[in-house]
Amino acid sequence: MPHDHDPLEEGPALRVRALEELMVAKGLVKPETLDSIVEYYERETGPRNGAAVVARAWTDPEYKDWLLRDGSAAINAMGFSGFQGEHIRVVENTDAVHNVIVCTLCSCYPWPVLGLPPTWYKSPAYRSRVVREPRAVLAEFGVSLPDEVQIKVWDSTAEIRYLVLPRRPDGTEGLSTEELADLVTRNGMIGTALV
Amino acid sequence: MDGIHDMGGMHGFGPVPCEQDRAFDHDWQKRAFALTEALAWSVPFCADEHRAAIERIAPEDYLRLDYFEKWTVAATALVQAAGLVDPQEVASGRKRFDIALVDHPAVGPADILAATKAGAEMTFPATTAAPRFTVGQSVRVLANSPAGHTRVPRYVRNHVGQITLNAGVFQFADTMAVGQGPSPQHCYCVEFLATDLWGNDADPKGRVCLDLWENYLEPA
Repeated sequence: MPHDHDPLEEGPALRVRALEELMVAKGLVKPETLDSIVEYYERETGPRNGAAVVARAWTDPEYKDWLLRDGSAAINAMGFSGFQGEHIRVVENTDAVHNVIVCTLCSCYPWPVLGLPPTWYKSPAYRSRVVREPRAVLAEFGVSLPDEVQIKVWDSTAEIRYLVLPRRPDGTEGLSTEELADLVTRNGMIGTALV
Repeated sequence: MDGIHDMGGMHGFGPVPCEQDRAFDHDWQKRAFALTEALAWSVPFCADEHRAAIERIAPEDYLRLDYFEKWTVAATALVQAAGLVDPQEVASGRKRFDIALVDHPAVGPADILAATKAGAEMTFPATTAAPRFTVGQSVRVLANSPAGHTRVPRYVRNHVGQITLNAGVFQFADTMAVGQGPSPQHCYCVEFLATDLWGNDADPKGRVCLDLWENYLEPA
């Protein structure tokens, strides 16, 4: 058989292509569906969505209250919804509390507002350590917090996904919502950056 | 399952690879992700079944394989368990038998995008079941360590935490993962003191919060 191979000895790219071809031949998937899934996640999800939510919360106190009370509804109202974002809880950083998100058991993450997670978020090092020594992990990201700041780590163990609302940086009073959104990073919304 | 996937609190994995900053590094990873999403529709299987299949990957392979390859290895196992492919087909990449496609229709682009944007329905009305616990109550995580899929990390087992929120009634991952239905029950956010979990080395002010289904808990 020309395609006979040991599935653990060849490269993953070849194995995934062979699997896709088999599943297409079986009639279980359509190649154009895979194209549209990839395109959707690349184009319509990602941290720019989350940044828009954060910037609105920074400038609209009523929206912020709603976001903290019912994250899913407030986020849906901005047009962001879908798989792994059905139930989103937004946790607010203050001068007393800093929040960090993880999934120690797999890689749960709020896809509609942050996209798919970066490799480091899925790494054994991050998953094992951030619940145990969050300050040391944050230091590796260049974040150092005063001892009096409480660190809360949110382990996404059920169906709720988390998004951190970072503190609005000082000196940004004159910025527009769009300019504020440009300041917000993905790591800021995971909690491994301050903004 | 006391598997390698249950990593919270383990030592020895070194520094966080902060510079590995992208969701995908290779096109095949995008294909692997999308292939799994599409198979979940036609086979079908749910996220809990897929997570459970990833957890069944042997520990040495779990640590060695790329994240997205684990997704396809698990998806393949589920397709095989459903009887839709056989091991020879997987090994050779060549189809050997036809399946009843009427029962396993391949999803088209429009349908999958609509479903993706709509999200999964995982909740039930709050009145479905009376809550056993209240906000502010102290609860202990049961010591149970089932061999199958569960969403209790080892590091909170037998520990006492405080309920800070009743998140509502959700389908239960442990039963969803084995096709035994949703077993709807309340799910609570439980806050633990870092010092209770990790001892003297922990940040005295630190807290760790987890969402835990009612079946995992007992009054403390």
